[in-house]
Amino acid sequence: MWLELIIGAALALLCGLDRIAILQILISRPIVAAPLTGIFLGEPLIGLQIGVMVELLWLARLPVGAAVPPDDTQVAIAATVLSVALGRQLESISIEMMLVCLLVALPVGKVGQYFDHRARNYNGHLPAQTERALEQGLWRQAQVIHLRGILSFGASSLLTYLIIIAVGLLLIPPAWPLLTRVFSHSASFLQLALPLVGVAVILGTVNVSRSITLFCASFGMAFLLMWLVHP
Amino acid sequence: MKLGWQTRLHVWLRLLFLQASWNYQRMQGLGFLFALLPGLRKLYPEEKIREASKRHAGYFNTHPYLAPLVAGAVLKLEEERATHGEDRSIDIDDFKEIVAAPYAAIGDALFWGGLRPLAAAITLFFAIKGIIWAPLIFLLLYNLVPFWFRIVFFEYGYRHGIQSVDFIQEHNLADWAIHTKEAAVVVLGGLCAFLVFSHLAEHHLPTWPGLLTLIPMVILGLGARKGLSTLLLIFLTCLTIVIFGIFWADLAGFLNY
Repeated sequence: MWLELIIGAALALLCGLDRIAILQILISRPIVAAPLTGIFLGEPLIGLQIGVMVELLWLARLPVGAAVPPDDTQVAIAATVLSVALGRQLESISIEMMLVCLLVALPVGKVGQYFDHRARNYNGHLPAQTERALEQGLWRQAQVIHLRGILSFGASSLLTYLIIIAVGLLLIPPAWPLLTRVFSHSASFLQLALPLVGVAVILGTVNVSRSITLFCASFGMAFLLMWLVHP
Repeated sequence: MKLGWQTRLHVWLRLLFLQASWNYQRMQGLGFLFALLPGLRKLYPEEKIREASKRHAGYFNTHPYLAPLVAGAVLKLEEERATHGEDRSIDIDDFKEIVAAPYAAIGDALFWGGLRPLAAAITLFFAIKGIIWAPLIFLLLYNLVPFWFRIVFFEYGYRHGIQSVDFIQEHNLADWAIHTKEAAVVVLGGLCAFLVFSHLAEHHLPTWPGLLTLIPMVILGLGARKGLSTLLLIFLTCLTIVIFGIFWADLAGFLNY
């Protein structure tokens, strides 16, 4: 269990920094972060399935200017770690376990927005320090001050991950016998529904005229084609 | 004095850390200075770097993928100023201020609003098929254009200076953002049809009722447009499915009995 949590924490830090602070090559997207976590934990398909379910959920929330979207990176990584760790502990690596972990991680992941705001606020003291360093001609120090900002974003990612993990570990094991019965009848439909909800939200918020018309036409045509060619 | 390729490469690499100290006061300001410092230190004597550094440590915010275009152009302007000795400090600051907001709007719409959902939708086809390399496909599909922008636009900005804005105008990037979003909506339509059809076929259920999925999706979309939170929509949907699942299981059990 501890090894899984530590591997998850390392990936949470790495992928979390990609969200804002460095690179932005989008290893922070759930479709990358969750399978990556799954590969490191020896269960790549679990990560892939969680990535598919989470990827589209908050894709419509753009990181524009000072807006902070929900931390889907930590939700995806923590849900994967919980699914694998608790699945091994309770001997139940299944769709039901993935869904339960994900449905716990999704609301708890909102704390990520709070920590992100705090990190950005905390970095607010860096400009004054930089100006003092520039005044004294300490170029190297001015550059180190800028890079120190990475620490607050790293801390924000790690704290979000740890809180999701802690809540998951506290809530899921005692409730698991009941939850497994509740979800057994609907797990596969829930797995289908999550990406569809994400797409619906994108449709509702995307700034494209006639987006619903375009979507319905594309959906209908693809569906009918598959219906025609399917044996 | 002309900046060598090593210095320009150094500045470009530092632009990958542009947002390391992002804050509400200066946003990317410190990151912009951090990136430009190797260039400024080549251009100016020690006593003048302080003045130039202070100018660039102020407020700055644009899209991170278009920041290299601004940085390249600013380096060119600083180079001209250092070479000719004329006071172009106002021009450089004005230039940054004028281009940052429009570039941010274009970048947000093109990359976050258009390319990201498009790449995600295409990748999900592979992921649903269980192809474990799907994340790599996403990274390749998505990063191709941003890295082209980051590399080529930096050099373009450096070569053309203040004239580099013409490039954005000539190529109608704002229109490209709309086209990319439209393509994303169409691909998402195909993806949802594939998801629903394959799910029903896998469970040996009749496939044609899958077309009715459009009704709840449009309702959820309208709910999102009205401002309902994604989390609320997720939990309402999940609750409905769980209750329906339990009811259906009971009904099936009763009928079998």
